[in-house]
Amino acid sequence: MKTPASAFYRNPVKFRIPTADNLVPIRLDIEIDGQRYKDAFTWNPSDPDSEVVVFAKRTVKDLKLPPAFVTQIAQSIQSQLSEFRSYEGQDMYAGEKIVPIKLDLRVNHTLIKDQFLWDLNNFESDPEEFARSFCKDMGIKDPEVGPAIAFAIREQLYEIAIQSVVSAREIRMSKKGRRGSDNFSVSKGGAVAVDLVKLFGPKSSVIRKRKEWDVYEPIVDLLSNDEVDALEAKEERAFRLWLRLTSPSPSSLKDIPLIFIEKKK
Amino acid sequence: MEAPKDPDSNPSGIDDSELELYTIPSHSRWFVWDEIHETEKTALKEFFDGSSFSRTPKVYKEYRDFIINKYREEPSKRLTFTEVRKSLVGDVSLLHKVFIFLENWGLINYGAPSTHTGDNLAAKDEERCKVRIEGAPNGVRVVSTPNSLKPISVPRNPRSTGDAVSSSTAYKLPPLASFSDVYGDFMRQKELTCGVCSDICDSGHYKSIQDDFVICVKCFKNGLYGEKRSMDDFKLLESNENSGKHGAVWTEGEILLLLESVLKHGDDWELVAQSVQTKNKLDCISKLIELPFGELMLGSAHRIGNNNSANGVVNGAKQVQSSSSDQQETSKTEDHICEHTNENAQNGDVKQSPSKRQRIDSLSDSSCSLMKQVGLISTVVDPHITAAAADAAVMALCEENLCPREIFDAEEDNYSNDSFFSNLNGYSARALESEGSEVERSSQSEMRDRSPKKDDIPSTLRIRAAIATALGAAAARAKLLADQEDREIEHQVAIIIEAQNKKLQHKIKHFEDLELLMEKEYAEMEELKHSILTERIDVLQKTFSAGISRWKDYPPMKS
Repeated sequence: MKTPASAFYRNPVKFRIPTADNLVPIRLDIEIDGQRYKDAFTWNPSDPDSEVVVFAKRTVKDLKLPPAFVTQIAQSIQSQLSEFRSYEGQDMYAGEKIVPIKLDLRVNHTLIKDQFLWDLNNFESDPEEFARSFCKDMGIKDPEVGPAIAFAIREQLYEIAIQSVVSAREIRMSKKGRRGSDNFSVSKGGAVAVDLVKLFGPKSSVIRKRKEWDVYEPIVDLLSNDEVDALEAKEERAFRLWLRLTSPSPSSLKDIPLIFIEKKK
Repeated sequence: MEAPKDPDSNPSGIDDSELELYTIPSHSRWFVWDEIHETEKTALKEFFDGSSFSRTPKVYKEYRDFIINKYREEPSKRLTFTEVRKSLVGDVSLLHKVFIFLENWGLINYGAPSTHTGDNLAAKDEERCKVRIEGAPNGVRVVSTPNSLKPISVPRNPRSTGDAVSSSTAYKLPPLASFSDVYGDFMRQKELTCGVCSDICDSGHYKSIQDDFVICVKCFKNGLYGEKRSMDDFKLLESNENSGKHGAVWTEGEILLLLESVLKHGDDWELVAQSVQTKNKLDCISKLIELPFGELMLGSAHRIGNNNSANGVVNGAKQVQSSSSDQQETSKTEDHICEHTNENAQNGDVKQSPSKRQRIDSLSDSSCSLMKQVGLISTVVDPHITAAAADAAVMALCEENLCPREIFDAEEDNYSNDSFFSNLNGYSARALESEGSEVERSSQSEMRDRSPKKDDIPSTLRIRAAIATALGAAAARAKLLADQEDREIEHQVAIIIEAQNKKLQHKIKHFEDLELLMEKEYAEMEELKHSILTERIDVLQKTFSAGISRWKDYPPMKS
């Protein structure tokens, strides 16, 4: 994939997940009658929507969940997909943008903390490949860790992409509204892109200072069973609390699947 | 890192102990510290198309140098991407790409204990060449051993302290040689080179017990043991032993097996090596390359053929004199061989394999008795042609050897007998499949008829006559085939021309039809035009006669 030079400077990028595969991260967290189903995976938005129900049925069958889950799962996926599609076709950002990605996740017994930089204009990037080499290098045996890392990266990239769209819209609006005022503060909520001139300028070296190495070094911890149990209990408590707090109030973008559940109840 | 990091701290006097020896694969010899090679530019073109502020050649070089240096701090340990990325600023995907690139080229993690590509690396191990590094990253020079021939990097700028200058004079790079350039890897096996003076150890060499470090006798005597090695570490190895060890000696049978399996499997050396069994893949390849082809090959085939057939004749004569059961047995084996030959010949016809293979074919046939081949070839053409060829051959031989033609007379009878015999056979069953049996019968009869009578003629002469006959017959056959082919081609061309002619005629006819149509149409048009004109005049006249002004007509039309 060769993009002509300096194309990035002029042409804003249309909204998409800034990786090689334009895959939407989908997160499911559904509870029906005390049974909770949590899952995270990626979905190709160009797949026909009929696949969603097929997938939901299949999942319910494979996991031996009650049939009530089928509609929930399908609806949740569908709504997340349509949210993604609502951004499609809009300008995302122009010019170079490199953002820090921070990982802080737990998968079964493995706890991972890491941070690194991600180029939003590199449409050859492959989070799955990155996660694979991460697991290999760190000697992680658990097969669930790799996909979880890739998913976490995708989720953050998705978030950043959405923010970029919003801020790009803001800039356009502000330019229309008050012509001439250039000192408009851009995207308060947007991911803070790194200062490219500072990092890649002629004076600086791309090799980090030794004392910074620790900051960017991945940390992998293996937890004992007790620790996992404790953490899970804590998360569960937090979830319940959060559920109680958020349920009466109408939608916040992020939690559409949960709201469906509440309505049904 | 064992060597000091700072080039300035390294005094200009260099001994071997201060040089680090690194190994990179020979296919990565383009690598130079001070420059970015085309290979890198094409593989990682995002750094060089100026598309981005964060992707510049400078950034790439920094990435590359850092990663390689990081690896060389501890070459025995496998460097992982995750280890590297924490120290480098930039897009992780891009860093990963650079890392993979360097790893694939063996610039890092080459020879390090690998987790996933173990087999690959082990296979590549044989084509290593050596890299010398002195202390600092910038002072690294890559020097080739004589076998890799091309200097990997001639120190271009002697700015990095005096080391580079003095050491470049200390090590002489051997001249280029095209053959070993190409087949350097095979040469390696037979020629060992001294690790100290880089000369070829032809007489014998000392080998280190701990590893494969080799030095020549001269260096051993002079006490140059290389870095960190003492006299006790070395063991004398004679060159003979060495060559024997590598199995450079090929028996005839093995060569035959090799050629046959090459014929069967083509370029698939794994299979070839499997069928040769006693030799490995590299041996097979090098042997096949060594084998002479063309004129030389044919010559050797003849020689072998001569020997074989001479033996065969002697044997045959003996066996004829001995009991008839023996005779039966030989004829049986002969049958087998002839069938084989025939099969080969058929294969050759069908496949039209390249010249190289065909030559192999002929060589592999040489195990078969020459007489059988002659018999085969001569039955391929008409008997009278064979007779003529034999006649001509005998004439030539007589002139050459100054011997009376009479000694062949007895043979002549035989030939005519033979030709009569094969004549009968040939016309009754000319089909290709049955040819094998026919050949075998005719050749048997040849043997039976001839052997007892013609002990008086020198066998070599007879063989030469036979060869000449066969060649003549083959030539005649070829001529016949060529003629037939010619006629065929002529015929085809005629057909094509005829077809083209027909096509053209059809076209012309079609055009004529079209023309007619057009003319008709044109006439109609003319007529129509005329009628319209008259009609118009008619209308105008009517209007005039009605006394309506023409100007009043137009406005409503316009609006």
